[in-house]
Amino acid sequence: MTKPTPSQTVGPFFARELLWKDGGTVLFPGRGERITLTGYLFDGAGAPIYDALFETWQADPAGQFPKGDDGARPYGYGRVSTDPGGRYAIETVMPGSFKGPGGETYAPQISVAIFARGLLRALHTRVFLAPLEVVKDDPLARAIGDPERLRTLIAIRDPRDPRIYRWDVRLRGAGEAVFIEL
Amino acid sequence: MPETRTDDVHPPYLYPDYKSTRLRAPSQPLVRVSPSPLEATGPAFPRQFVKDSEADLTTWGRSAPLGEKMILVGRVLDEDGRPVRRSLVEVWQANASGRYPHPVDDHDAPLDPNFLGKGQVLTDDDGRYRIVTIKPGAYPWQNLGSAYAQRLITQMFFPGDPLLAIDPIFQSVPEAGRKRLIAELDLEHGIEGVALGYRWDMVLRGPRATPMGV
Repeated sequence: MTKPTPSQTVGPFFARELLWKDGGTVLFPGRGERITLTGYLFDGAGAPIYDALFETWQADPAGQFPKGDDGARPYGYGRVSTDPGGRYAIETVMPGSFKGPGGETYAPQISVAIFARGLLRALHTRVFLAPLEVVKDDPLARAIGDPERLRTLIAIRDPRDPRIYRWDVRLRGAGEAVFIEL
Repeated sequence: MPETRTDDVHPPYLYPDYKSTRLRAPSQPLVRVSPSPLEATGPAFPRQFVKDSEADLTTWGRSAPLGEKMILVGRVLDEDGRPVRRSLVEVWQANASGRYPHPVDDHDAPLDPNFLGKGQVLTDDDGRYRIVTIKPGAYPWQNLGSAYAQRLITQMFFPGDPLLAIDPIFQSVPEAGRKRLIAELDLEHGIEGVALGYRWDMVLRGPRATPMGV
């Protein structure tokens, strides 16, 4: 076994090089319930993180994993940066739940990777788009155990606009989101 | 702070000499889980996504960019030494003066109108890639493997660079991993009188065996 190449930070200067046109609109071949996942990233002092790269990968509404592309971009993948206020937004479709190899059920979720100045390695996590009762038997929810920590990964549906799911991410300190080692 | 395994080549999240980690590194341990079956798959980049011309960073302008032309070759491999095929390699770098064309990079070095510092290439069936560029003033590279869980951003450094000893981002890497970030001179892949060649292989964590749940 060869050891992997070490990770390094994305640094502060990537916006013009890495961002894609319409990277915040996640493409799929079929239709589904259109939703927006949006929120703010905060550091350990509560300040917004205005220079993060935010990437998403998810199943389609039927819980199938995306294959292929629309000719210009791959299906199922989102890539945006946070704005000067620390906000990100991904327009996508509601992912379906899917099964693991042991028959376990993964609740509706989006896999998220966060890169930024000051992050020497990516922060990986999963955001759930379903209420706690639905999420509690998900494999990650079981691994976390503590419902208070699990809540840091549950997006909240906007009562005024049910197409919008809000999820704020605190990288460090009070309310710190759960991050995972894959 | 999150524990890192002793055999890990990756830097820790919290590395106080790199000041920006102090408020951004998580304080809680990471939760270890297997990649979900979703994360064991990854996005498929269409052929049209990458143009052949994007592997040459020296042909964007009206004339050649300033600086020392170089050719970088290498392979993207998994931990078992197998090639990672059709892997997207995206590169971005400073110009010959060490400046990025980014509005926040306002340090006192000139921009080069003939150099954008951005390129990308897909690896071939042997995991090989080739990039033509200029040697940057004082620099990053990243990689997207065949599985989402393999996603890596890393950085290539040049052999003999005296600044490495005082670069906190390079020094954050455990000693065992540091030389993996340094390219080797490879004259065979250079063009005599035109460009020096360098070689740098990247190793992505292999897709684990079928995810077994938690």
